[in-house]
Parts: sequence; C-alpha cells; structure tokens
Amino acid sequence: MEKLNSKQRVMNAIKGLPVDRVPAVNPTNIATVELMDLVNAPFPKACQDPELAARLAATGYTELGFDSISPYFSIIQESSALGCEMQWEEKDNWPTVRMNNPIWKSAEDVKLPKNFLNHRDIKTITESIKILKQEFGNDVAIIGKTMGPWTLAYHVFGVERFLIGTIDNPDETTKALKKLKDISVVFGEAQIEAGADILTFPDHATGDLVSSDYYSKFLQEIHNDMVDLLPVPLILHICGKTLDRLPLIADTGMAAFHFDSKNTPSEAAALAKNKIMLVGNINNPDTLYAKGPEEVRAEVFECMDAGIQMIGPECAVPLATKLDNLIEIPRAIADWTKKMSSNTL
Amino acid sequence: MTVVNTELEKELAHISNEQEKSHIRALWKNADPLMQEISACLIQGRNKEVDELTLKALENGFEANTILDEGLVAGMAIVGIKFRDNIIFVPEVLVAARAMKAGMFHIEPILSASGIEPIGKVIMGTVKGDLHDIGKNLCNMMLRGAGFNVIDLGVDTSPEEFIAAVEENNANILGMSALLTTTMPNMGKTIEAFEDLELRNSIKIMVGGAPLSQEFADEMGADGYGKDAISCVDLAKHFASSI
Repeated sequence: MEKLNSKQRVMNAIKGLPVDRVPAVNPTNIATVELMDLVNAPFPKACQDPELAARLAATGYTELGFDSISPYFSIIQESSALGCEMQWEEKDNWPTVRMNNPIWKSAEDVKLPKNFLNHRDIKTITESIKILKQEFGNDVAIIGKTMGPWTLAYHVFGVERFLIGTIDNPDETTKALKKLKDISVVFGEAQIEAGADILTFPDHATGDLVSSDYYSKFLQEIHNDMVDLLPVPLILHICGKTLDRLPLIADTGMAAFHFDSKNTPSEAAALAKNKIMLVGNINNPDTLYAKGPEEVRAEVFECMDAGIQMIGPECAVPLATKLDNLIEIPRAIADWTKKMSSNTL
Repeated sequence: MTVVNTELEKELAHISNEQEKSHIRALWKNADPLMQEISACLIQGRNKEVDELTLKALENGFEANTILDEGLVAGMAIVGIKFRDNIIFVPEVLVAARAMKAGMFHIEPILSASGIEPIGKVIMGTVKGDLHDIGKNLCNMMLRGAGFNVIDLGVDTSPEEFIAAVEENNANILGMSALLTTTMPNMGKTIEAFEDLELRNSIKIMVGGAPLSQEFADEMGADGYGKDAISCVDLAKHFASSI
C-alpha cells in the first residue's frame, strides 16, 4: 500500500484499518533525562510549562522516530490541580502525589474546583497540545491523557484507604468513582478541544492489586461510558497483569488497550480477538533500561509476530533509558516489515 | 487436636498443594478452637472479631506467643498463600492485615515486655523518590509476625538514611522496596553506598516491588529478591539463619 505519514498510520492502526507498517507509539510517555538535556526541558518544569512540555514531547517524533507525540508525562496533573500534596522531584524522577496525606475521605468530598481547567498543571497539558497541534498536527498523532477514576481515587483517597473501602463499603466506592469520572471527562474534553487526536486513559485496576471481578463490578460500565462521552479513540492503559480482564476490557468499546510486559503478546492478542487494538509491550526495567538494542529488537519482533497493532514501551519509560534502545523500536518495526514484504514477494 | 473450625476447613480447601496443606494444617495441630477462630476471622478480615477474640484469649490465660503463632500468624499463612495463588488480591490482604493489627495491638506490648529475643533485626524502607508503601507495610507485618524486630523507615528513604539506621540499630538485614521504574535504580545506589563505606559485607540486602525481577535484583547486587510478602519472610529467615 502507499506510504502513510505518522498520523495516518496511527489513526488507521487504532481503528483497525490497513497500515503501511505498524506504528511506534507512546501512549504514556517516552521522556528521558537525555532528551530533557537535549532540548533543555527538564522535569519537573516540563510538567508545569506548556512550551517545555511540547518541546520535550516532540522529541519522541523528531529524535526517536515514533509516530505519536504525548505531552502528558506523568499521572499527576489532575491530582495536583485537585489540591493533592505533591512531591515534584528533580529531572531524574517523576513527580508523585503524596498519597499518605490524602485530600478527601468520601464520595461526598469529591468536587471539581472551579478553576480546574485554568490550573497551571492542567493548562500545561492543554496548551502544549495546542502548540504541538500547530507544529505537527498534520503529520503526527497527538495523544493526550486523562486519568481514570480508579487512579484518581488512589491519589485523592490514598491507595490503602481506597482499597479497604472497596470491601467495607462498595456502594460508597461506586459513588466516588462515578463522581471522579466527571473529572476525567472534563479534562479529556479540554484536551480534545485543544487538538488531541487520541486520549490515553490510564486506570490502574491492575491484576497486581485487584481481581478481574473488581473490574466488572466497579469499572467496566464506567469505561463503557467514557467511550460514549469522549469522541476520540481511547487507549485504556493498565499496568501489570491484565490477561484475566482483557476480554472484559475488549467489551467496553475502547479503541485500544496498552498492556504490560507481564502479559505475553500472543496471549493478549488471542484474548483481544481484534475486538480491541493492542499497544505494547516492550519491557521497561529489564529490557529498555538495562539491556541493549538487540534485546529490544527481539521483543519488538515478538510483538509483531503476535499481531500487536501498535508497538511501544509497556509504560512510561525509566528516565535513564538509553536513546539507542528507544530508537530501536521504530527501526525494528521497519526491518520486520521489510523482511515480511520481501518474504511475500 | 485437629482443625475443628468449619470456616477454617473451608479456607484450607483453597490450598491446592497437598504438602503445603499438610504444613499449614500442622500449625493448628495443638491449637485450641479459640485460636482457630481467631485465624478464621483474620483470614476473612473481620478485625473487630479478632480484636475481641484476642482479648478473650488473653483473659482466658493463653500466652501471647500462642495467640501470635496459632491464631494470627497461622491465619496470615493462609492469606499469603491465597494471595500468591491469585485467589485473593490486595484489598482482601489489607483487611486481613488490619485484623492482624487489631490482634497485635493487644499482644505486642506483652511480647515486648517479655524480653524474648527477636530472630533478627530488619531495616525496611521504600527507596528515595518513591512514596509507595503498601507492599512494604505488608512485608513489615509478616516479618513482625514471624518474630523479627522491624525498623520501618517509611517512604522516600535516602541511602544515607538506610546506612544510618543499619548502624544505629546494629541490624544485619535490610529490605528495600520500589514501585517505580525511575526509583528502582536507587536500590543499586543504596547498595553502592554500603560498598563505598565498606559496610556491604556486614548486611544482607533484600529487594522487592511490583516492577522488580530476580534479574534486576541480581544486577543491582542485592542478596535476594522477594516477589511477595511470603518470599520476603522466607528470605529474612534464610538470612537470619546464615548470619
């Protein structure tokens, strides 16, 4: 087929349409310290200033050759705007919410602050999307990100208290999640208005923490609603083990699922049955961080062989990841594609 | 005496490995029905009942050690296995831990006052830049239940703080936890700091956390990797016996 540009490639892939080659994408982020130094956009400032966020995010395309750009690097922008206590860290670590000092105790407390969309850390994302849209909008897929209610709940209630609450008072949990969902929608809509082509929707109901029954009981319906409420393709992201809930996720109507290396590509593909596109799942700590391009290439090939529709790191990459390893992802995709087409000829 | 508590018998049915089942069953071999009831309530996360039953047991003259071993720790052994085998998940473990804490509230002061020597002293902490502590807290609780003296440094712990705590407490086992891929390398930096001060040989270091693997632990130079709280206790026991 004719050569597509990066944006066309990603948009086709996420809709299950034909592509000239599988795209390399970054639904979470691929910012590294090396890239921060390269464009003088270090953390935490790059999480607080739209110009810096856009500049750092663009390197995913300009320096690494990925087909998408994602300017939301962490998982804390909304939580900061909601008033959570933050630990902003330095350029070698992600900013974090101090979850030991949660801001809310119950569903009753969940409220969207009036100035939410004008908060510095929210505008950093929406304004950076506008900048990126102007510069790369025709060529590259711009992926925004809005955190799901389950992840927001960890931040605003504290992980331990929230998880215990799911047993002590599940109705209260459901009520809180429904109210938190409205925050996810408001931020998602703002990013779409700013120009996001796709939204990543991280909602960490991972198999490392909760059962698949929890997914169906507390989240499946909410995720289904999100698909109706946000009119761009959504990529659900859940870290950790997720094969047990993948069939449930596939039924939500989400366009794609970004999955972790704890799940093998072939098993994930068999469970997704093309009802949902898959993005993933190059291992971060053992491969991208600690090994070399050869091992990265082997994992990319494994994903390609399994029929994974979009390839990228399993989650936000360790900030000390070597650029050679990240560059190897699109390079290996291109080589695999070339090899396959020459086999066909 | 054998297992007479019907709820506990049902819980034992979750254990598929027969050898493991015999081992766990043996924990209640000489246990009073009251201890078995404490275990059953703990497994189900019924903290108020564990609180009341522990008090009742003390009033009835049971030794604090007996309640700990045959009631609380025996119950947590099943919780650990169910968690490892994906029969239960973190919320269920957290409510069981809360129940254990309710029982420990009454017996810990008695055990401390009795002057029984702990089987080892463990310094625990989440590494610098990381604020996640659920896994570490579960490990702390299981270690305490297994007879260790645990000094918990909390979250966001620098190499210097780890070193100071080890020296101050004359501890011989150190446990580090991390949940973020950005903070995992701080385990290696902490180990290096021990090496720089020539303290590495006097301490056994174990690491754990969701994104970790044995491979990563080996690369960082740790002495052991625990994939869950049970492995953490096994490792600490192994270290304690080899020191």
